[in-house]
Amino acid sequence: MPAITSVVTAARFAQGLTYADFVAQAAVNQDKFVANGTTVPLSEEDISFFRKAAAHPRGPARILALAEAWCGDVYRELPTAARIAEVTGMELRVFLRDQNLDIMEEFLSNDGKSRAIPVFVFYTKNLEYLTHWTERSASAHAGLAVAMNEAKAKLSLPQSATFGTLPDKDRQALLLEVIARVRPFTDQWRRDAIKEIRQLLANALSIPNAG
Amino acid sequence: MPVENNTAATRPVVYTIRGCDSCVKLMKKFEAEGVDFEERRVELNQATLEEARCYGSLVPIVVWPDGRVEQGFGDSIGCFI
Repeated sequence: MPAITSVVTAARFAQGLTYADFVAQAAVNQDKFVANGTTVPLSEEDISFFRKAAAHPRGPARILALAEAWCGDVYRELPTAARIAEVTGMELRVFLRDQNLDIMEEFLSNDGKSRAIPVFVFYTKNLEYLTHWTERSASAHAGLAVAMNEAKAKLSLPQSATFGTLPDKDRQALLLEVIARVRPFTDQWRRDAIKEIRQLLANALSIPNAG
Repeated sequence: MPVENNTAATRPVVYTIRGCDSCVKLMKKFEAEGVDFEERRVELNQATLEEARCYGSLVPIVVWPDGRVEQGFGDSIGCFI
């Protein structure tokens, strides 16, 4: 949850990178951002919803994104935030996590233990906090857990095994098996992220989640 | 340069991202154990990132001199690259 007194002031928000500048300064994965930018799975109905939300009197006008270009979750999901901003007129500013840890501290996940990214924070025009979304969809987290259990079963590993407790050989086999199992679902994760962001905004604004 | 082409390799190459907790933990472990390794930071340039992707999808990635490849470290899956 964001702090009652946030470090995100109007002046600070203005210091964030535009999406174009973020991609331009990225040392890696520029190709991923460009490619994923062309395949953002926003439907017309999604766009209609986000436009309605933006038009609400207390609606989102600004998106703050915490990101790093090297992160797979970031290059998968940040283009979606950029597209939402583009179609609604919301102002997106991107902050590099590792240079803005004070902002990151306001949006830790995993009970305050993780600096997971990306984080998309939605604010009103006056920088009143509305809601935020972090890292990957719930379906992605669940899918990883299912893949893990299925992979353990296939490899005849105990269900209680964790990466930290397995011998190196088994650990590597498990990782490869998990990766192979989740890779086909990453497009679905992107669609589910949009659903979650819609629901978060609908809840924050007390409006129907409908386009 | 892909590690398998480096026939003179005598120490492990570790592909890392400094912002990745698992990478930092692995390097601390190696340092504590006195393991001599070469760190290659994939977040700094595309060529190093592509080199790492030849070996895996998650950092940290350790390529041992005998050709063995290990991904991830500790109880976390690591960071997708």
